[in-house]
Amino acid sequence: MGRYALQRLLGVIPLLFIVSVLVFLFIHLIPGDPARLIAGKDATLEEIRGIQEQLGLNLPLWKQYINYMGDLLSGNLGNSIRSGIPVTDMLESRVMPTLWLTFLSMAWALIIGLLIGVVSAVYRNRWPDHLGTLTAISGMSIPGFWLGLVLIQIFSVELGWFPTGGVDSWKSYILPSITLGMGIMSMLARYSRSSMLETLREDYIRTGRAKGLREYVVIGRHALRNSLIQVVTVAGLQFGFLLGGSVMVETVFSIPGLGRLLVDSILFRDYTVIQALLLLFATQFILINLLVDLLYGVLNPKIRFSQ
Amino acid sequence: MKAKGKVWSMFMLLLITVVVTAGCGNKASNEGQKGNTAGGTETSTPTTKNDKDIVIAINSNFITLDPHNASDTHSISAARTMYEGLMGFDENMNVVPVLAASHSISEDGLVYTFTLQENVKFQDGTDFNAEAVKVNIARIQDEKNNLRLRKSFAKVAKVETPDAKTVVITLSEPYNAFLNKVAMAPIISPKALEENGADISKNPVGTGPFKFKEWVQGDRLVVVKNPDYWQAGLPKVDSVTFRPVPENGSRIAMLKTGEADFIYPMPTEQVSEVEGLEGITVDTIDSTIVRYVTLNTMKKPFDDVKVRQAINYAINKEAYIKVVKSGLGAKLDSTMSSKTQYYSPQTGYDYDIEKAKQLLTEAGYPDGFETEIWGENESETMKGMQFIQQQLALVGIKVDVKSMEGGTLSDQINSAKTPEEAKIQMWYVSWSPSSGDADGATRGLFSSEMFPPAGSNTAYYKNENVDKWIAEANKSVDPEAAKSIYGNIQKTIWEDAPWAFMGVDQIISGKRSYLEGVKVFPDGSINVLNAEVK
Repeated sequence: MGRYALQRLLGVIPLLFIVSVLVFLFIHLIPGDPARLIAGKDATLEEIRGIQEQLGLNLPLWKQYINYMGDLLSGNLGNSIRSGIPVTDMLESRVMPTLWLTFLSMAWALIIGLLIGVVSAVYRNRWPDHLGTLTAISGMSIPGFWLGLVLIQIFSVELGWFPTGGVDSWKSYILPSITLGMGIMSMLARYSRSSMLETLREDYIRTGRAKGLREYVVIGRHALRNSLIQVVTVAGLQFGFLLGGSVMVETVFSIPGLGRLLVDSILFRDYTVIQALLLLFATQFILINLLVDLLYGVLNPKIRFSQ
Repeated sequence: MKAKGKVWSMFMLLLITVVVTAGCGNKASNEGQKGNTAGGTETSTPTTKNDKDIVIAINSNFITLDPHNASDTHSISAARTMYEGLMGFDENMNVVPVLAASHSISEDGLVYTFTLQENVKFQDGTDFNAEAVKVNIARIQDEKNNLRLRKSFAKVAKVETPDAKTVVITLSEPYNAFLNKVAMAPIISPKALEENGADISKNPVGTGPFKFKEWVQGDRLVVVKNPDYWQAGLPKVDSVTFRPVPENGSRIAMLKTGEADFIYPMPTEQVSEVEGLEGITVDTIDSTIVRYVTLNTMKKPFDDVKVRQAINYAINKEAYIKVVKSGLGAKLDSTMSSKTQYYSPQTGYDYDIEKAKQLLTEAGYPDGFETEIWGENESETMKGMQFIQQQLALVGIKVDVKSMEGGTLSDQINSAKTPEEAKIQMWYVSWSPSSGDADGATRGLFSSEMFPPAGSNTAYYKNENVDKWIAEANKSVDPEAAKSIYGNIQKTIWEDAPWAFMGVDQIISGKRSYLEGVKVFPDGSINVLNAEVK
């Protein structure tokens, strides 16, 4: 297991290299000159050229790439070309809000989603199942943006229980994480329901029941655990998307996170920041996938042995 | 069986730990904050305030706190809480003395002599004096620094300091807008500049009413009262916290809950939602921001002045203000807003569809023509373009609306190196002169030296008289003479109609009623010098 993990971890390096090249090229393919956007509408050509030179944007693309890779390998992510602030400083201050938001959303989405899924499967075609399905379908169909604003209106403006935004205390994370987790919760509920239903039809479940095991043991230990594999896959993928994709929630709740930083940076073609963020997202995506693969082994030793 | 159960319980335990630590972890970091959040089950519409710490919610982040390098309005607002210049602006964008007690300009318009305020200290305790001014101008002029303010001081030939409270600036040629440019240049403590160098943007030290406390990128900027401020009795609040809140609805919610004491901008379409609510006041003033459609005067059919005038007659500007601006705006009746220096109102182009049709017929387009309009993909801009499309359809002009993301649009416009290469036909856009001066509202837009990519003359407008007058006005020493030249410029451009003249934006801000003295100036900058909690 340890060796497998290490192998996979080393395999990440060439992948990251390819990602870095692609990210660099794609960013420079987007139309829009950062120097002009930074200098503003009333800038003179001379001013714009000055900024281009200062930032090395006048160099041929391959030279810019070599400079960028050189810096990257020495652990230097450069300075934001828009504000001059070191990119590492910017990431440092932005990473925690996004992490908290994602973990919280994922945590409650997993718990509630699984719960709904299991209950729905066990009480198939009875009222708990219908209720669960209704909840999941509504959760999937509600646009996050709208949900966020509605939550603010009810719980911040009318009731005054939570702040409307920012990251002042744990309370600030409640509404955003509900908004962000809703879709995933619903998806997990659906996946765990169908996966659970499939498992419940398996022979070993019948055997277990025939042996006289208590129902909660059959469901909790045997059925749930085996149906978790599919759920873990979905959850893992979603988690990867969440970290980079909380843009909308961060905007509605004014959370100073990575998603908003990415949008701001793209608007101003802040190449260095965009590059750093995309690399960061790619890395965590790869790592989460690795983690999911390893979790398979934990959940079902058969998968581990067949590696 | 036991081992399997363990894994499962570990999994759940992990989840619970995450949830719990998420809750507790941030509590500690929050203890330093006070009075900013609507706590617990308090009423959601506070009408009084116990502390003197105010929160201002704005729509985007600050870019830099280096006052010589700031180009976005919010960064300029932030700089002005901590910094002051020799001159400054009043709420009508008139240039007024601040750190200069008085000034005089030589008859030839070349020598500016400033007498400085006495007993002014920087926030680090060092004296504000003539030498400090000299150091600052040298920093701005230094090519290596490549600061945004450099071009404003390009005509400064030398700076002399005969004594500690006199600064004499000599220009290489007369420059009518120079005082406005001086007003855009805050003075940084030379000691701080020496100690922090390029990092001055993280450690601002000026003479202003507020001192820098902290800047958490994307979350907040906090400035606190400068107890040694030179103007007696000011400031009247203990601290100001600026919070970037990009979503319009969220800013409104913050104002309603009292989490924010002041919000800017207030989205026009939501004014009606808060107007009349207890404890909330909405303020509106005319801005220096003008909205217009450039018409490429070198491209058919816009090369015919009759077509351009027809377009101006065909668009109902009153309806435009009502439909697109929710009634909060004014008709644009010149090339600049009434809040810009040397503004001179024009008449004509009242909505007249028959006249428009007649002009089109005279120009040889009795059935209209097809064209396209460009603009950014933001919702109000799209609405503006669709309005123009609908209006022009009534006289037979078929307009194709093309909205693009800002950077892409800028590329489309500036990739044309010559007027012949330009693909632009109509562009719905806005402009605001950063220092409220007439030159800033004219040269970049109408001088024939300013065709893209050199400048923003996207109408490719060329009129020899206007070119000559712009140069003359710029060099004129006498304000009356300058006013009359700018009058001619505005009249001529108005008749030539290189734009469809649309509107002047109103600046709309919302505040809790107990807050007074926070002002948004016509250029969109926020001034907190006189902020007071009542």
